[in-house]
Amino acid sequence: MTVSSHKESANTSSVCPVCLKRLPAAVVRRGLTYFLEKECSDHGRFSTVVWRGENPRLEDWGNYMPPDEPAEEQPDCPSGCGLCAGHLQKTCCVVVEVTQRCDLKCGYCFAQSGDGSTDPSVAQLSASFRALVENGNTFVQLSGGEPTVRNDLPEIVAAARDAGCENIQLNSNGVRLGKDRGFVKALAEAGLSFVFMQFDGLDDRIYESLRGRPLKAEKLAAIDACAAELLGVTLVPTIVPGVNDQHIGAILDFALSKSPAVRGVHFQPVSYFGRYPQPPRDSKRVTLPEVLSAIEEQTSGKIRIADLVPSGCDHPRCGFHGDFVILPDSILPLTSKTGSSCCQAEDSHLKNRNFVARRWKRTTTACEESCCGEDYTEMDTFLARIKSHGFTITAMAFQDAYTLDIERLRRCSLHVFDNGNLIPFCARYLTPSQG
Amino acid sequence: MKKTVFSYLGHTVAHEVPTCPKCGKVFIPEELAEGKMAEVEEQLEDK
Repeated sequence: MTVSSHKESANTSSVCPVCLKRLPAAVVRRGLTYFLEKECSDHGRFSTVVWRGENPRLEDWGNYMPPDEPAEEQPDCPSGCGLCAGHLQKTCCVVVEVTQRCDLKCGYCFAQSGDGSTDPSVAQLSASFRALVENGNTFVQLSGGEPTVRNDLPEIVAAARDAGCENIQLNSNGVRLGKDRGFVKALAEAGLSFVFMQFDGLDDRIYESLRGRPLKAEKLAAIDACAAELLGVTLVPTIVPGVNDQHIGAILDFALSKSPAVRGVHFQPVSYFGRYPQPPRDSKRVTLPEVLSAIEEQTSGKIRIADLVPSGCDHPRCGFHGDFVILPDSILPLTSKTGSSCCQAEDSHLKNRNFVARRWKRTTTACEESCCGEDYTEMDTFLARIKSHGFTITAMAFQDAYTLDIERLRRCSLHVFDNGNLIPFCARYLTPSQG
Repeated sequence: MKKTVFSYLGHTVAHEVPTCPKCGKVFIPEELAEGKMAEVEEQLEDK
């Protein structure tokens, strides 16, 4: 006989995946698995896995407490987005779409592709950057589509730099970066800070499954091209059950071996945007504790769950981060010893911005990186090493129409610039199941 | 000068600082406190 517990652990709001109408929702526990559940009067009941397992337990993950407010005072998320007075976090990073075009046709992508006729001009983008900087938003991610399909991308980077953006991140699949070194050099000279590179593994079957064709060689070439220009690269795997969830350790081992050119790995458990007539099965979802466990198991304990802590900038269930310094023969975790993070602190968005910029930007020369002393307990040597070989392991669990939890959305610090508004990322790319 | 161990957030690093030859107390120059020591603290602090 199977005995299953059933406990409503948290009440929140969500949307109907079919019509996107706002609905009351609950995070419900059955055994060791948590589901987000909701019921639409027109389209029925929906239950989607959001947390599997107890290492760590959901209740122990972060110290977020929802605001104590009457229902009538809650904001009308997500239909009312842009940011409003009810949003609970300021902007850390702003996504700026520079094109809708893309040179890949991926099955898993939040972005829509188009023909280029709607690409904003450099002058339009420059005005956007200036408007963002005027409001203190100096960390921008150039995204798309695939930004590198634009030949004038270096001009766009320069426009962001000239507007006063301090950190300019390129979100790219790496295809052009790997084959056009002149383009990479131009981006670096224009002021690009670092690259967020889609990187799903080291086996071409993964790319054939997720991206439509083999891409491993192009990814490796892109890393080398960025390394030649001292552009830090953070690898961004989309983790899909049955495709690459058994490759998490291999991705980390590879990334660590490529330090300092590679500055970290940013895991993104798959979420389902676009047209899905049938709800994605729970077996096609992977949750944060499963990624955490896989990291520990697949690195044979080299990276431990204890080295990784809940997001302090966004809602704890939106991600985790770990800070490390790579020594010649070992990896030294920093985060676990630093106590609890500044979850919900007033300036957590700024701390997060500074933290990722400090780690993801490659600020040392190849000479400095190889000229360290041997004794890493020496202050000078330690400082040099942490600057050259700092390394982050982070994750962000994007929400789709099935998993959207308004409490999480209200803590979002990753915002998309859209017609002068800042829209929380998961609200901006929210799509009904019929596409 | 004496090699002195500094602890912060569970980590330790060492640096040579001036030391009184009689009592053994160390002197932390302002430049060190506001320079490298502050830098180590910033690098070790979580976001």
